[in-house]
Amino acid sequence: MIDLKDVSYSYEGINALNNINLHIEKGEAVALMGANGTGKSTLLKLMNGLLSPDQGVYRFDQEEITPKKLKNTKFSKAFHQKIGFVFQNSDTQLFCADVYDEIAFGPRQMGMNEDDVEKRVNDCLDLLGIQNFKHRQPYHLSGGEKRKVAIACVLALNPEVLVLDEPMNGLDPRTQRWLVNFLNTLNRSGKTLIISTHNLDLVQELSKRAILFDENHSIAADLPSENLFQEIDLLKKINLVDENYQHY
Amino acid sequence: MNHKENQRNLPDWLLKDENYIPQSDKDQFIGKSILSILRILSKIKSQSEYKTDKFHVNAALKVAFTFLLVILLSLSTSYTFIFVVDVYLLVVLSFMDGKEIIKILSVSLAMAFFTFIILFPYILLGNTYTSMIITLKVLSTLIAVNILSHSTRWNTITGALRRFYVPNIFILVLDITIKYISMLGDFSLNMLYSLKLRSVGKNNSKYGSIAGIAGTMFMKSKEMAEEMYAAMECRGFTGEYTVRSKWKLTIADFIYMLLTIGMIAAFILWGRI
Repeated sequence: MIDLKDVSYSYEGINALNNINLHIEKGEAVALMGANGTGKSTLLKLMNGLLSPDQGVYRFDQEEITPKKLKNTKFSKAFHQKIGFVFQNSDTQLFCADVYDEIAFGPRQMGMNEDDVEKRVNDCLDLLGIQNFKHRQPYHLSGGEKRKVAIACVLALNPEVLVLDEPMNGLDPRTQRWLVNFLNTLNRSGKTLIISTHNLDLVQELSKRAILFDENHSIAADLPSENLFQEIDLLKKINLVDENYQHY
Repeated sequence: MNHKENQRNLPDWLLKDENYIPQSDKDQFIGKSILSILRILSKIKSQSEYKTDKFHVNAALKVAFTFLLVILLSLSTSYTFIFVVDVYLLVVLSFMDGKEIIKILSVSLAMAFFTFIILFPYILLGNTYTSMIITLKVLSTLIAVNILSHSTRWNTITGALRRFYVPNIFILVLDITIKYISMLGDFSLNMLYSLKLRSVGKNNSKYGSIAGIAGTMFMKSKEMAEEMYAAMECRGFTGEYTVRSKWKLTIADFIYMLLTIGMIAAFILWGRI
């Protein structure tokens, strides 16, 4: 489904991704892990077509994604419907007057009639347990509530792939646990999940596969999540844990 | 809610692939807005990066000299003095990076060209000397200011203002403004990215979406301002802000001062001929 071959990217000469080779199958749940500044968020933006590789090829559903193709609005819109992106900072994702309009934004654009939009919005509100916030202004919600609304907005488009940039950041343990269960449910229903996270304790529950980035902005390892803690030396080497780290 | 409950509650539409063919819509404005914000942010970022001229001249001296040069240029009525200044500026430019030379000259020449166009009717009326000298003054002034801007970081320029008895609170506001333009620019860029990713069809209220982004930006800037003030209060801020900078002159600074004196001498000798 997602295929990156020899992909490199740099911001004004500063390397952000270095020779990335990655293949993700439909229905997989993959965690991207690495210390800050190793290129995880850049890779997620690239997968969503917000950035284009300086070198290498990015294919989505066997179709090469190029800046030229993304300039074609029909292609770009169809592509963005298939792959949804939940930003690290939920504030940047919410710009409508109330939560209902925020979730309805996508379905309305897809040309659905207002009854179908209402059903879809209510389904999303129920699914994320935010029915009570329906008419509240997104900006005044708490961090966890905003994250739920941001996920609902993306989910309303029914994308095949859900990309989440550090979704656990700033959430209390209970909401984190709820989100892990929810993402697992989505994955079991067939959605492909690509999640960047620092949370070592939840990664095994979130994904079956962990991709580790090193400080050279390359993939240091691509391994089953269950084997992650057998590779403590590797985790230390890529600065994800220090020498005092203990896993229980 | 546990797994089983969740799965049982998933709506049918979420379990099926969406068979969606988008309608075409004119929304190039999102892409264009993203590009223009990216350009501004990249300029701010390149300005904030560690940069120094090859001679490590004190920022306060550079600010003072540039200011003096602009005054002398505006007072001068002679081609000779402007040519002397231009020769000096070209020598300074020749020590700079190729990309920076292109940036400085392209901006300065473009502005000088527009000045020439505006003054063109005046030239047709026979006032060639005055028109040409104004155009050359604009060109020299812009090159001088751009050299300062490209060879000195903003924070060292604002720090240098302290030497000229600019009130500290003004320097603080200037520093914070530059910082927050960059931070809010980054925030608005991400909002536009999000709008772009969620614009998967025909948006009948494009202006509504942009107004939403502007509203959120306003709220965010208000919140950031309040949080920053609270943080400053917690660190003992009572309205007084002191900027301290080291003032140590090097050989390069003395040579630079000699150049300044030379430029004043050139103005006295040729500036009013």
